[in-house]
Order: sequence, then structure tokens, then C-alpha cells
Amino acid sequence: MPCALLGDRASGKTTFLGLLYAAQVKYGTGVQDDFRFHAPMGSLNLMSAVYEGMKDARFPSATLKEEITELGFIFGYLRKVVGKLPYYIRNQNWVRPFSTLRFSAYDVSGEDIEEFIETGIASRPLIQQLLKSVVVVVLVDCSKMTTEIDTPAYKKMLRYDSTVAKLLVAFQTYKKQEYDRLKDSGVKADAPRIYPAFVLSKFDTLRDDVLARLGLHRGFPENKRARKDYAEALLRVFVPQTLSQIRGGKIAGVSMDKAAYFLSWVRTEQHEGMEPVGQPRIVRTGFAPEGGGEPDFSYDEYVEFIEHFRDIAHKIPDEVLEAERFQAQALARPA
Amino acid sequence: MPHVVIVGDRESGKATFLSLLYATQVKSGSDASDAFRFHADVDSLDEISEAFEQLMSGSFPDSATKEGMRGITFHLGYRKAGRGVLSRLRSRGWDAGGSIALHFILVRNVEEEMSRFLRGSSLTNADLREVLESDAVAILVDSTKLGARTEDRTVGPMDRYDTAVESLLSAVRRSRPRGSRRPIHPIVVFSKFDSVDPKALLTANLAGAPPHVKKTRPRSAYAEALLEASLPRTIERVRARDRDASPFAKPSYFFSSVRTEAATANQRAKIRLRRTNGAGWEPDYSADEYRALLERLWTIASNAGE
Repeated sequence: MPCALLGDRASGKTTFLGLLYAAQVKYGTGVQDDFRFHAPMGSLNLMSAVYEGMKDARFPSATLKEEITELGFIFGYLRKVVGKLPYYIRNQNWVRPFSTLRFSAYDVSGEDIEEFIETGIASRPLIQQLLKSVVVVVLVDCSKMTTEIDTPAYKKMLRYDSTVAKLLVAFQTYKKQEYDRLKDSGVKADAPRIYPAFVLSKFDTLRDDVLARLGLHRGFPENKRARKDYAEALLRVFVPQTLSQIRGGKIAGVSMDKAAYFLSWVRTEQHEGMEPVGQPRIVRTGFAPEGGGEPDFSYDEYVEFIEHFRDIAHKIPDEVLEAERFQAQALARPA
Repeated sequence: MPHVVIVGDRESGKATFLSLLYATQVKSGSDASDAFRFHADVDSLDEISEAFEQLMSGSFPDSATKEGMRGITFHLGYRKAGRGVLSRLRSRGWDAGGSIALHFILVRNVEEEMSRFLRGSSLTNADLREVLESDAVAILVDSTKLGARTEDRTVGPMDRYDTAVESLLSAVRRSRPRGSRRPIHPIVVFSKFDSVDPKALLTANLAGAPPHVKKTRPRSAYAEALLEASLPRTIERVRARDRDASPFAKPSYFFSSVRTEAATANQRAKIRLRRTNGAGWEPDYSADEYRALLERLWTIASNAGE
């Protein structure tokens, strides 16, 4: 299942992927053993480099960021029924104990996207892949959330809102066209659906005055409905076009109503009364039986994020899974 | 898909009008009540979101953005009444089939277009075909030009525009087959109404502000009193509907205003932004008028589809 990860410049895309990888490592080695993951060699090399850097208190370097164009993970979720079987049976391959899900994130340049929006033609394979996404993860950089209208951050957020709104509409248009094409050729297909996931990145940098103006407290509620209300209160102010086009998907015949919201933060070293010089350093947790020396980040939110895909995995249309299987077979075939 | 033609004099605020209509949709389409949703076509979004960015930065749409704005398509949907309790039912209220689509066509220079049309230019005929087949005509009236006439009261600043709009309406009327049951809806929008000359209102014996948007009859009387002095031919053409069974529906009137900060020697006039309830910003404009206009457009498009 291709998953598009959208984020502005310096919005924390690589950090997000690095932390997701850290969360996968921790969650995937827990005693419960109901989640496993696999990464192809290229992705693994990159992600482990990012992860190592974070364990060394460093944010990903610009060189590493440039190397990322496509990253893939395969998530495996233990099937509920299988979980109840004796251990030696559930480990047999014929049981197919894990339902898998391919999480691919692409880093696409603005020009490529513009080309598609302007011409309606997705000429580059990467864009074609991107448009096939069923999940769209949108990173919204909280450090750019300001109510000072004459600041560059305010203008950057306005621009980002327009870009994401245009992209989402491009996704909707593509899905609708595909659906109509299938329908016209007599294929019975489910109504198109995209699962948007918003990640409020750098949440720790969100200013208190912004929260106060919105009447919000610091910290994300646990209840799903309250999370939605909290996140939408922020999105309504800072990315209103995006929010309105997510809702408008239903009008266009592509439901995007099942949006989910997550927070991302990573604690950085603070020096009282002093401005940090150079890149901030990541705070790491102390060593403990369950692990340690890890970046201090919103681990629970990342676990929520991983678990969110468990739900989606059961809802993905059959034709997407079928296409993935076909693609995998085609790749496996000798040239 | 119903077509709405937007005509206006030079610098009458056509692009600003369309941008504010979009801003209203963004606001209503993202608010907590979730009672209105809209979708902008992918090829329309580029220009209109650029104009939106400019508005939200306190600027009027620039010439490049205006130039790109020719045809814009929106799909609108209002939540069906009586479905607000259960969320599952709420979600069903948004079926694509329940929405309406509207295509806006901007006529950049109506005087030039009409003069070419009257001369019989085939190129113009092709361009105007869409216009002539429209369902509604939004006539922008630059309020800063209202009432001003020469001393002998024979020439007004909008006379040429008046003639052009009247010709356009006549052409639209003629283009409809006899007995057509598809009405043409005239929508008159008084742009820049915050800058109307108080003398113009005084001369017409009118109050400083128009009657509330819900009071349709006094509002029509107010608007028509202004139009009689400045766009007599246009109002006469629209009113003729009662006499000669023309295809014109009852006109509706809206008053658009945007508060600005005066231009200085080295800075153009800027749009004043105001804080919204949710701590964000929006242009300080007549939002109620635009919401009412959206509802009117919804009604027109719904009836056109029946």
C-alpha cells in the first residue's frame, strides 16, 4: 500500500521517518510480539543511519535527507484469530500469521507536483506511484504556527496550505477518474476512499500564545473525538484550505472523512538563559530494562500511528492488494 | 453544470469578488459545524488559491493572478436538514449526488466583448457562446462610481458599461429559444460598497447601509434606487421581465465590501485583516453577504438541475 508523506521544507519529514523507525524497533521487539516489520536494504541503511544519529543526540543531516526519495517498510500485524492459537502453530508459515502492509514514503519535489496539477498528466513513475496512495500523511509543522501576520512563518504556512490543498484535490481527481474508468469498463469497484493522517510535527515548539488564543491546553487528548476536535482547531486556523478540501472529498465522490491525527515531538536540550548554538541536541532516555539511550520522543503517538494502519489494513480495497501482489510477482520473475 | 457569468467594469473588483467567494467557502467548509462542504476543481484551484493567499496576506489579487482567472468550478453541498443527530447519517448527507456544481466565467472586458459581438466577430461569437448559455449573470457594480454625473447630469461614469451590460442581457435573452423554461438569474453585486459616495445615497434618499440580507423586498428597493441613477438601461432590461415574458428571473442584490488601509506614497492599499473566533485571520469583509450569495447560487443551481 503506497503511502504518501507530504511535508514542507524542514517540516521534519526525515525526523518523522527516523522516529517512526525507532518506534518500530521498540514496538516490534516488545514482549507482546503482535507487530513486526521489515525494511528493504536501501531503506534500512538510510533509516538505521538516521536512527544511529538520533541515538547520538543528532538530528538527521542535510546529506542524509537528500538521499531519501523513496522509503519502504512492510508492517506485519498479527491476525486476531491467529493470536489465540498455540505458539508453535502460529509460527508456521501456512497459517499466514501476519497481515502485511507496505508503507512507502516518497519525497517528491514541488515541481513534479506542479507539473501534474498543471497538465493533469503524471509522467514520472514516482508521481504515478504517489497518486496510487491510499493513505496520505500530511506533516504540519507546528513551529510555523504563528498568529503574527507579518512574519515569514505565517506566509510559509499560507503557501503550504495551498500546496497541500492542491495535492489532495489532485489525489481525489485521480482516484475518481480511476473509479469512473473501472465502472465504465464494467468492473465493480468500491467507492474510492483515501485515509488522511495528519501529523502535527515539532509539537513542542508550538507557542503558548497560539494555544491560549485557541483555548487549547498543551497536550493531546486521548479520546478519538477530542483528538479530532483539538487537531481541527489548529488546522482550521493554519491550513483551512486543506481541511476544507479534505471534507470536500465527499462532495467530489472520494471520501477522506476517516482522518486521523497524531503528534510528533522530540525533546531537545535546553540551556537556561542561553540561545543554543548550531543544531539543537536530542535528549535521550536513561537506560532501563525495557531499553534506553533512545531519543526522548512522543513514542505513544507513533505507536498510535502504527496501530492506525492495522485498522486500515483490513479496509484496503481488494484491488489494491491484488495489484501489490501482482507487482511483487512481476519483480520476483527473472528478467 | 449551471454556468454563472461574472461581468464588471474595469477595476470593479471581479477577481476580488471571486476570491472572497472562495474565502467564504473555505471558512464555512472548515468550521466546526461542518454544515457546508465544497470541492474546487483541480484546474481551478491553482489561481483561486493563489488569490486566497494574497487576500490572507492583506493584498488584492495581482494582475498575473487576475489574468489566470478565467473559469472556476466549484462543487457545493449543504447538509440536509434533519440529519444532524447521528454521525453515520450525517456522513451520508454528503453524497456526491447531493451536491451541485457551478462554473464561473469571468468576462474580462464586457464593453470590448460586446462591441466585437455586435460587429459580428466570429471569434467573439465562439467565446461568448458559453456566456449566452449561462444560467446566471453576476453584474458587478463598482459602488465608487455610483451617482457621479456631469454637471448637466447627462453623462455618467458607468454609461458605457450600462450599455454593454444591457446589450449582453439582450443577447442572452435573444439566445434563449421561445418558451424556454430555463430562466436567467440576474445577480447584482455592488462591489466596494464601503467606499460609496455618501452623496449618492443622499441623492437617492437612501440610508447609509442596505437593509439586512433577509429583508429581500426593502433590499431590492434600495438597490434599484441606486441602479436607476447609474445603470438605467440595465435595470430597465431586468425589470422588463414582468412585461414581455422574458426569461429573466427576479434579480437578487448583494453588497460587497472589504475594509482597507489607505494607500501611501510607497505602498498600495492593503486589505485589513480581522481576527476570527478561532484565533485565525480573515479579510475584514461583508461575510454575511457572501454567505447569502452562496445560498442563492445553491438555490439557482439546484433548480437548474431539476
